[in-house]
Amino acid sequence: MIEPTCTSTQPWWLRAVNGTALPSHPKLAVRGLDFHYGDSRVLKNIELDIAQNTVTAIIGPSGCGKSTLLRVFNRIYAIYPGLKASGQVLLDGENILDPGYSLNRLRSKVGMVFQKPVPFPMSIFDNIAYGIGHHERLGKADLADRVEEALRRAALWDEVKDKLKRSALGLSGGQQQRLCIARSIALRPEVLLLDEPTSALDPIATSRIEQLIDELKRDYTILIVTHNMQQAARVSDRTAFLYLGELVEVDATEKIFTQPGRKQTEDYITGRFG
Amino acid sequence: MPAHATAHALASGSDRSRADGQAAAGSHAAQQRSRRDARHDAWFRLALQGCALLVLASLLGAALSTLWGGRQILLHDTMGFLTSSQWNPVTGQYGALAPVFGTLVTSCIALLLAAPVSFGIAFFLTEIAPAWLRGPVAGAIELLASIPSIIYGMWGLFVFVPFMASIEPTLSNTLGRLPVVGTLFQGPPLGLGLLTAGVVLAVMIVPFITAIMREAFQSVPLRLKESAHALGSTSWEVVWNIVLPYTRQAVVGGLFLGLGRALGETMAVTFVLGNSYAIGYSLLMPGTTISSAIANEFNEAVGNHRSALIALGFLLFVVTFVVLLCARLMLRQLAKHGDAR
Amino acid sequence: MNTALQWRRHLLDQLARGLGLCATALGLLLLVWILWVTLSRGASALGPRLFTQITAHAEQGGLANAIVGSLIMNLLALAMCAPVGVAAGAYLSEYADRTRLGTVLRFVNDILLSAPSIVLGLFVYVVVVLPMSRLSGGSVSFSGLAGAIALALIGLPVIVRSTDEMLRLLPSTLREATLALGIPQWKLVVHVLLRAASSGIATGVLLALARLAGETAPLLFSAFGNNFMSIDPLDKMASLPVTIYQYTNAPDPRLHTIAWAGALLITLAVLALSLLTRLIVHRHAIRHD
Repeated sequence: MIEPTCTSTQPWWLRAVNGTALPSHPKLAVRGLDFHYGDSRVLKNIELDIAQNTVTAIIGPSGCGKSTLLRVFNRIYAIYPGLKASGQVLLDGENILDPGYSLNRLRSKVGMVFQKPVPFPMSIFDNIAYGIGHHERLGKADLADRVEEALRRAALWDEVKDKLKRSALGLSGGQQQRLCIARSIALRPEVLLLDEPTSALDPIATSRIEQLIDELKRDYTILIVTHNMQQAARVSDRTAFLYLGELVEVDATEKIFTQPGRKQTEDYITGRFG
Repeated sequence: MPAHATAHALASGSDRSRADGQAAAGSHAAQQRSRRDARHDAWFRLALQGCALLVLASLLGAALSTLWGGRQILLHDTMGFLTSSQWNPVTGQYGALAPVFGTLVTSCIALLLAAPVSFGIAFFLTEIAPAWLRGPVAGAIELLASIPSIIYGMWGLFVFVPFMASIEPTLSNTLGRLPVVGTLFQGPPLGLGLLTAGVVLAVMIVPFITAIMREAFQSVPLRLKESAHALGSTSWEVVWNIVLPYTRQAVVGGLFLGLGRALGETMAVTFVLGNSYAIGYSLLMPGTTISSAIANEFNEAVGNHRSALIALGFLLFVVTFVVLLCARLMLRQLAKHGDAR
Repeated sequence: MNTALQWRRHLLDQLARGLGLCATALGLLLLVWILWVTLSRGASALGPRLFTQITAHAEQGGLANAIVGSLIMNLLALAMCAPVGVAAGAYLSEYADRTRLGTVLRFVNDILLSAPSIVLGLFVYVVVVLPMSRLSGGSVSFSGLAGAIALALIGLPVIVRSTDEMLRLLPSTLREATLALGIPQWKLVVHVLLRAASSGIATGVLLALARLAGETAPLLFSAFGNNFMSIDPLDKMASLPVTIYQYTNAPDPRLHTIAWAGALLITLAVLALSLLTRLIVHRHAIRHD
């Protein structure tokens, strides 16, 4: 479990990041983002600011481009040919779409958790340690500490501390998903991208993850894509509504769900969409 | 805004500048790592690509090396090699017609016999058999494919040839009396010969054709079959009128694949053919195929004789390549259906 | 009129079902027949002599040198074609999936999969046996190494295909999740994907081995055969299939008996391998469902 006093025990890197970010600077700023899949334009001129240590939910009907938008933030789309993003996505003021922005740096800063839990075919310990090992050279003891820290933050430590050497494939779906979250935060990212992280889980595991999101918010900036509007309302501070590749509206979650500014948003929220 | 963020904003100046320095160094290291990773990735990709190209190289190599090894015969006496039926190492005559004839005849017999049997088995496995029986029976038929061809050859020589010798008189007396077709079934009941080799080959290729037909039949959308059943069609009518037209291409592809196998098979036929360079009308007479000629004579052959055998190998390669090419082109359709499923 | 038509359709259906059943019964009968002949004739010749005596003693001898030669050449072949095949399969699946080169290579591999093995034997004769003989002044010609290369060429497409297929079965999210951690593609392939597909790839390697174990034709002009025990890969080497071939062609029935014993050994090995692969696939399926 995360201690309530964790602010004072935070490592330098987190303090440094938080310290340099001025309140007027958003953590992430999307400027004129277009996304093309072959000839079709999937995202159209997106403008979006995301403040530090907030949870932003991205909602919209399927095919609206919400997953695509999420996949721009760590450039994971780039592994498929024919996909192209143009415009700017500024992370702490630097454009991550610039080819000069190293992927290693970007992906250690921006972690991602997917719809279905995908543990590596390794032990629970190695699932976490593998990613760290690529970015940092750590001694055995340090590595063990880092793995424990990540598992604690993902609220999984108590359940797996006695079976760290066992295969991760033996965990339940909910545990696997928390393991994937632990795997991401073990790299000490600043931003966490969650792509429908609970859609493959049962209600109990889902509420566990939602609780976790609330705790992680203190340390990370979180973006979550969800098709479940109740979930968006429960976990997020701000909500962005996407429709047909356009950002229709973004505002405080409470406002979006009680008095949306646009007719389309209201129709979607109230289920009158067709 | 959470409280601790504000607290960090007020962090001491020295602390912050140290952190900035570290962050910059970290970013530099990440940059270097990225470059190193990209380099490793490029090498890795190149190594894998090299291995993949070996596949292409071995196919091209097989073609070019047999062409090269058989050049003395292939290039100097192309027409004689392709059109003469005389094969006599003593007089230095090398005509490929007899082995080519034997190869084609035995393979065609094999295909004619294997096609209906494979179709019957595939029909049984996809339409008739109860669900619990399908897996085990399909597995058993697949087991036929894993039996090495030399075992087929031994079985053919020691078990099947005597069996054929015992029924061949009956064949000659019945089918042999028919007009036209009769000439195919005349001759001494040796047991050895083109027909026997064709039957053994048929047994060998049945599992391959069956596997593809079964896969093709299973790829037919269920709703298509169900709607035909709903109209009152019998199982046979569904297969004949719906399934077979729907999978025509894959079925023909499977047959070609079987044909390709039969053309190139060596060990299963070489014992039961009788090995004679004769071209005759009767299927009961001994004959030879390209592959059995190579297997039988290669290690005793020298000079032009060896060259002629390698040239035969080239011919075999070209023929099977064309047949297999057709087979795979037709089977691509099946792969696409499979993806859509 | 109508009922007559119904009756005819029903009859045709029953006839077709009957023929389908007959075809299946025929297939199974042939399987049992061939296996039974191999088992009964081979078992009667089994004995310790088979494993201790070499073929030089002919009808008084055994198959020891042939068994050893087969083992050496098969393992050598596997050592050559397994790494190359896995690498090529990984290339097809991970780097060339929708490229033109990938399509062509996959196509070529499928053709190689059913290409006549005797031609591959000739290929090795021309590019390995002849040059080695020329280079060594005739002291090295046919060799166990050449035999292993010929076998490796036969095993290669089997392993390429199974690796390619097994890797393509893995979910794309596994790739995305790994790359999202900043891990480079080569590590993704080596540490994550190949490991995740390891049991499927092992199945492919075993299948290849089962295929190699009975191959005869390509060994005739590469390893040739040897009546004495030889473990030198540069020397002519005996093998079970080639010995069986020679003994079957010989007139002496006592040699035929030894050939059947050899056939039984090969058949048992092949059956054991295909059973093993099925076991792996079965366990694999259960664990992931």
